[in-house]
Amino acid sequence: MAADCAIEVKNLSFGYADVLLMDSVSFCVNKGDFAAVIGSNGTGKSTMIKLLLGLLTPLGGEIHLMGEELSSFHRFSKIGYVPQNSGSSAGSFPATAEEIVLSSLYSQIGFLKIPNRRHKKMVMEALESVGMRQHARSLISELSGGQQQRVMLARVLVNDPEILLLDEPTVGIDAGAVASLMEILHKLNIGKKVTILMVTHDLSHVSPYLNRVLCLSDRNFAEDTIPPELIVHAHAASHEFRHEHVHCAACEHPHDSEHCVACTHTDESGVEL
Amino acid sequence: MTLEILQYGFMQRAFLVGILLAVIIPCIGVIVVFKRLSLIGDALSHTSLAGVALGLIIGINPIIGAMAASLLAAFSIEAIRKKIPRYSELSIAIVLSVGVGLAGVLSGFVKNAANFNSFLFGSIVAISDFETALVVGISILVFLAFIFLYKELFYIAFDEQAAELSGVPVRLVNTIFTILTAVTVSVASRTVGALIVSSLMVVPVATAMVMARSYKQTVIWSVIYAVAATIIGLFVSYYAEIKPGGTIVLTAVALFLLALLSKWLRQRFKSSKMKGAANESV
Repeated sequence: MAADCAIEVKNLSFGYADVLLMDSVSFCVNKGDFAAVIGSNGTGKSTMIKLLLGLLTPLGGEIHLMGEELSSFHRFSKIGYVPQNSGSSAGSFPATAEEIVLSSLYSQIGFLKIPNRRHKKMVMEALESVGMRQHARSLISELSGGQQQRVMLARVLVNDPEILLLDEPTVGIDAGAVASLMEILHKLNIGKKVTILMVTHDLSHVSPYLNRVLCLSDRNFAEDTIPPELIVHAHAASHEFRHEHVHCAACEHPHDSEHCVACTHTDESGVEL
Repeated sequence: MTLEILQYGFMQRAFLVGILLAVIIPCIGVIVVFKRLSLIGDALSHTSLAGVALGLIIGINPIIGAMAASLLAAFSIEAIRKKIPRYSELSIAIVLSVGVGLAGVLSGFVKNAANFNSFLFGSIVAISDFETALVVGISILVFLAFIFLYKELFYIAFDEQAAELSGVPVRLVNTIFTILTAVTVSVASRTVGALIVSSLMVVPVATAMVMARSYKQTVIWSVIYAVAATIIGLFVSYYAEIKPGGTIVLTAVALFLLALLSKWLRQRFKSSKMKGAANESV
């Protein structure tokens, strides 16, 4: 087990019924990485996140989170998970931003206990960190898509997570809201050293903030003996990632797995790092 | 001066039982609505009728029969819901069909049809001391459970997966909630009626959602609307000499329509005020 891995996956296999979706996938996301998982539809990007959280059971392989084997891992409050469309699906629920964020503090409040002032202060701080403090008492349904997504982020930030797993957080929100969300994530990654793994199709907007890109190919592994191409191209965490440009062939051809072969980082002048 | 209606023991009991149920039914209803299982009350109450019929046939207290059938139905819904999570409403339809079918067949074997019919539309003004004590006990139990499990139930209703990851004992809380729902529906069947209980579970929640500005307010307003509907319904039914169960539900629906109208008027007033301000500035 690599000491610097916040997330380590070894020989992971997963499938539904008789379809093998992943075959012997291995990778490591280092502490402090801001990584994107890309790949065409159906390659198992969201499935990968669910496997990391133990929401799905793999056919084989190992998953380690913060150095601990998943089966014995219990510090899930330190893993912030924002599922796909979480903002819009929460939008129909008649609850305020404050109530939604407060619910996430369950592990700190405890079973059958009532939240106290300290918990409410933590909620306000989490909302403040995503610029939503003034909307604490607003119904989630009255907020815009971008604002709802920021509340969903505050919901996981309130527990001061060490790892963030985000599934398509930029879907359904406008370019301005995407930029604002990415700035918040960038600050968390740089300032608080939060490790971020984000499933996305929107590499053009998010790439300036990344230091890693993981490509999942969409091969049918049940028929193909070639192992899945999980391409990881990492660079030293000391770079100022904000000024890097990430080029991944797969990003330009997201529906063509043949192009999912490599990712490179270049500086602003285009020189490969 | 005491109102004439409150001088009668049976009416005092009706108010006590009605108000207690009006407090606990919306508490269950809020969670049921937000879990997108609004028709669960229908399925449980119809299945409880099968239990009533069975109780009357084999000679046990029909409320006990209703509770047993309702519990069985509630756990069946949960079990089917887990098997087909993407079509969870199907679980209700399946159990509802079984309940209606069984109640229909078994009712044919009940000798005292009037007793069985009293469960269809309820008989809040004709309940026994035992039934009153049962409602009081169950109401206290459900209310305390709802208060103590408030944040757990909210979290599960909002995002069951996240609640599980955060360490909420989801299975335990869901089991407790299922039992409370089944027990509440079966005792309410005797008072407001099996065909009406699900309306009381959903309509006050819908009314509260029109006006409330938070989840907490939704819960509080649901209870207030249900209590108001019960009190008004009992008064109207007494003086107009009409059936109380149906009157309570129709009052709840009238309050819902009033809430919608009030919201529409407020919005119109607000927009005309804004238009006026815009015209002035021009």
